[in-house]
Parts: sequence; structure tokens; C-alpha cells
Amino acid sequence: MLDTLLKKTSVRSPWLFRINAGSCNGCDVELATTALIPRYDVERLGCHYTGSPRQADIVLVTGPVTVHMRDYVLRVWNEIPEPKVTVAVGICPISGGVFRDSYSIAGPLSRLVPVDVNVPGCPPRPQAIMEAVVLARSIWLKKLGLEG
Amino acid sequence: MASFLNVLLQNLISGPATDPFPFGETFTPKRIRGRIVVDPGRCLGCGMCRHVCAAGAIHLQKDSKGWTITIWQDSCCLCRSCVTYCPMNAMSIDPDWHSAHAEEDKFKRIEQHTISYEPCARCGTPMRVMALDKARELYADDADVDPEEIRHLCRSCRQMSDAENSTVCVLRSDINTAQQEGRD
Ligand code: SF4
Ligand code: SF4
Repeated sequence: MLDTLLKKTSVRSPWLFRINAGSCNGCDVELATTALIPRYDVERLGCHYTGSPRQADIVLVTGPVTVHMRDYVLRVWNEIPEPKVTVAVGICPISGGVFRDSYSIAGPLSRLVPVDVNVPGCPPRPQAIMEAVVLARSIWLKKLGLEG
Repeated sequence: MASFLNVLLQNLISGPATDPFPFGETFTPKRIRGRIVVDPGRCLGCGMCRHVCAAGAIHLQKDSKGWTITIWQDSCCLCRSCVTYCPMNAMSIDPDWHSAHAEEDKFKRIEQHTISYEPCARCGTPMRVMALDKARELYADDADVDPEEIRHLCRSCRQMSDAENSTVCVLRSDINTAQQEGRD
């Protein structure tokens, strides 16, 4: 009963969480742009960046997952409650990009955790990230058993 | 006091600064790097693009019938190196930036073309037909040459034909560079 109530009331606002898995900061800047600049304003979709993984619904991962970051990424990723939607932002977490096959790369991300949405680009433009968030939101609603 | 009222008034009439996307249309800058495309009519299969590709996004597989060029968009960092170094100007950048996709489409986002050899019009050796505008460019100084005909000759037959007819064939590197700079 409480469960259904929670599901119903939270559908309008999936909260976002960012993990930097060794990114050059390019994609992170674009993510900050979608959230902080009124021009793109991701909060219109009900999304809000949260500082705690325990409150997150959609996790946006940037960076190729370096060997050094792997354990931290997995630890934080596991702290996010299910159902969660994982979004790979930029070519690095998707395929390794320019760092593929490097000795210091543990990625791509899909080797470590299940990924749901990809948004390639180096970096992707804010509008493309918004599209990815919209897609992630509909996948999230499906995971909750509520069609969006 | 008056100046602050002025700003207030301006803000009221200028409307919201937020881009309506994703609920409405958004703008696309003319030179935005959306994704890389290769023109199968121009590619020679030389492998230069694969050699310079920083992200290893280009795969080229050759056999006796021709070759297949594959670009994996999910690995391409849009550095534009292949556009710069392709000797045939076969590579270009498309402004389509709608790149978000679900995980199951990850390996479907490719640009792939299979290009076959054709027999040389004179000796029958399998060869790559030259792009028509390249033939026009090479033989621009000689009105007797039919570019449509000469582009179907293999390299040695073309050399023979040029020697027999004392054809003027000029490689214009300056034109090439100018064209390329105008492209992007
Ligand atoms: S696209 Fe250009 S550089 Fe690449 S193989 Fe074809 S001709 Fe060579
Ligand atoms: S733009 Fe750069 S990364 Fe993309 S295919 Fe061309 S050379 Fe490779």
C-alpha cells in the first residue's frame, strides 16, 4: 500500500545522480549545463540532481572507468536503490572511446554494470543529454511497472 | 530606481530564456558535429582514415571483391581527423546530433558501406572506378578526354592511354585543399 503510494507520487520526479568514472570533465560540464543553466533546465522534466546515491533513480556515468575508479564506481553504483536506470554519457563509458584497450581502463561501463541508455558524443550536446534523460525516464517508469 | 524598472519590464516582454526542447523544437548550429558519414562513391579504401582515427572507430575489411568500411558512431569522438586526411574528401560531418539510444541499439549505430571492384574497361583487371568529379578535375585541361570513359580504366591502362594520346593530366593539390576548407 505504502509501496504503491510511493510509486505513484514519485513518478513525476526521477532524481539524477552523477558518477565521474575518470572523465576529462567535458561531459560533466555538459551535465552541469543541463541542470544549472536556465536555457536547458532539466528540472522541467521533474529531474533533480541529488548529492546522495541513496536518493537517486537515474545514474549518469561519465568517463571510461579507469582501473583506479572501478571499485569506487561499483561501490557507489551499488548504493543506488533498485529500480535504477544507468545512462552512459559520452563515448568513453559506452565503448572506451579514445582510451579503449588502454592498460589503465577497466571499462567500458557495460562490462561492469548493466547499462540502459547510451548518449554518445565527445561530449554530447545538452539537448542530446536531455533526450537521454527522457528515454531513461520512460525506461524507469517501465521498470516501476508504470507506463510513461 | 528607474533602471531597475527598465530591466523588469524587459524581462517581462522578452519571455522565458529556456529552450523549449524536449517539449518543442530546438536550434541546431550549422557547423555542429553530429556524426561522421562516408560517401561510398568517393572512398578508395586506402585506409588513411583508419590510420589517423584517434578512437579506432573505423574498420576496413578488404578481400578480392572489394572492401567494407565501417564506422562505429559510439566510438567516434568527432575529432574530424578523417575528414582532414581523407585524400578523396569522402568523409564529412552530418549535423544530426540526436544520438541518445537504448543499450540494445549500441552496435546498430554504424555507418557501413560495401564497395566492390569493377573490371577495367580495357584489361578487365578488378579495380576501383574513379569518382566522376575527380576524373573531371584531373583532366580539366584536356577537352579531348571523356572523364566518364577514363574513370573506368585501371591505373596502368590509364597511364598507357594518357601516354598514347599525350593527355594533360594535372593533380591539383591546391584545389583539393581549398575544397576541403570550404566543406566544414
Ligand atoms: S574514406 Fe577516404 S581515407 Fe578512408 S579509406 Fe576511403 S578514401 Fe581512404
Ligand atoms: S572523426 Fe575522428 S574519431 Fe571519428 S571516425 Fe573520424 S578520425 Fe575517427
